[in-house]
Amino acid sequence: MQNKDKSIILQNLKDSTAEWTNGQGPLSDIVISSRIRLARNIEGIPFSPRAEQAELKNIFELCRQVVEKDPLFRDSNLLLLDELTPLESQFLVEKHLISIYHAREKRPYRGCVFNQKETLSIMVNEEDHFRIQYLLSGLQLNNIWKLINEIDDEIEKKVTYAFSEKEGYLTSCPTNVGTGMRASIMLHLPALAMVNGINDILKAISKIGYVVRGFYGEGTEVMGNLFQVSNQITLGLSEEEIIDNLEKVNQQIISKEQKVRKELLSNSKSQLEDQAWRAYGILSSARIISSVEAMELLSKVRFGVGLGIISHLNLGILNKLMLLIQPAYLQMLAGKVLDPFNRDMQRAALIRNEISK
Amino acid sequence: MLCQICKKKEATITFTKIVGGQKTEIHLCKDCASAFSDKFSIFPLPQFNIDDLLAGLLNAIDLYHKEEGVVPGKEIECSNCHLTYNEFKQSGKLGCSVCYHDFREQLTPLLRRLHGNSEHVGKIPRQSKGKLDKIRKIKQLRKELQELVLKEEYEKAAKTRDEILKLEGVLKKKNAK
Repeated sequence: MQNKDKSIILQNLKDSTAEWTNGQGPLSDIVISSRIRLARNIEGIPFSPRAEQAELKNIFELCRQVVEKDPLFRDSNLLLLDELTPLESQFLVEKHLISIYHAREKRPYRGCVFNQKETLSIMVNEEDHFRIQYLLSGLQLNNIWKLINEIDDEIEKKVTYAFSEKEGYLTSCPTNVGTGMRASIMLHLPALAMVNGINDILKAISKIGYVVRGFYGEGTEVMGNLFQVSNQITLGLSEEEIIDNLEKVNQQIISKEQKVRKELLSNSKSQLEDQAWRAYGILSSARIISSVEAMELLSKVRFGVGLGIISHLNLGILNKLMLLIQPAYLQMLAGKVLDPFNRDMQRAALIRNEISK
Repeated sequence: MLCQICKKKEATITFTKIVGGQKTEIHLCKDCASAFSDKFSIFPLPQFNIDDLLAGLLNAIDLYHKEEGVVPGKEIECSNCHLTYNEFKQSGKLGCSVCYHDFREQLTPLLRRLHGNSEHVGKIPRQSKGKLDKIRKIKQLRKELQELVLKEEYEKAAKTRDEILKLEGVLKKKNAK
């Protein structure tokens, strides 16, 4: 672990781009990222929402000990959320390092470990003692499982997990028990959205045990045609089966999106070109822009890049911008709190600057 | 009445808009209504809320118990963290790992409904692996023992029995630690 001051850690985080946004993984034109998280608890200590302050402190210190000397966590940082301002916590949410729940909860000794590439993060004292998550670009759940499984084994050498032969890994909420694993895939589905094909798909997959959420996970809204699809069942299936099933469901959605893209290209190419370049035109000249409008336009430009209509931009820049333009990130970059009007101006300037590079 | 947008299909859905006390109605067919509602996001996306689902299930199971004539005894409580089952029903969150043991009777049907299953088949932590493997081995040996006795192969049966006793001894020692 790196022993750095909170302000240095945040400064570095502000300047760095998460690897999972690079747009270079398999099927990146449609799949933004894949993610797996494991819920784990330490034996003999109540789950975080019911733990005493001293117990929460124990968990936090245990996490520090685990990551402190281990080579796997050599380039990792540990932040204590109690020391962060609401803006800084929200910034971690927008970076996808912690959940909204983790940022807003008042419980003391909540922590966040993350590595330099921002592929790995561990939420400490969220609903469970440890929530380990791993993110990669594009569709690659199998690779993620290999990596996160190793990390899980490594942590387990130093702690004893709460585990029962019957129910598996024990978690605060019975919806996570068993494998404690939630796998999810973030999809960009502009073509399906254009032909109003999204709602039918969402309805269909929610009936077979999958959940669809917005860009920032549970309870967040869909924006920029980005959808997160994840497994709901965690018990009675092996990790490999959960991954395999989720990939199959996503393959179906991906091939639907591909099919509609092809149809649109052959029937309405001019309209698609117009749509992409118009969006690009606004983004490269606007002076004031809200995050909702920016997300919509970035989605259109991203669609244009995916179809080969706009070739001087890459998916990585657009993925990155979708994070940079969020309210807390913008204010962190500006180094001060901004009111909504000034945020909209700052956002417009940032986008102009990034896409004309 | 025909749909006011496509003017082809029968209108089956009515949208009512009230602006400044003035009410206007628009009659649409199913397809146009879907496009219309998407455009104006009248219907929010079906947001799946796991807590609501859990609360619904917990109440359904209670109802089932009532119908089956299961008399609710005095309030059950976790022997370790003292969370009561009613508190769990309200929050949907268990208090500690012992809750899973102490509420097992109530939780098993719930897990079956949530996951379609109530037994873990995935990863096993290394520390439990040896123990779990032994338990699985004992189960298998017991089966073999029964078959051997049926076949009247007493010599082999005695060997298998000794093996079971040995494994059980190891487990007991481990548990005592």
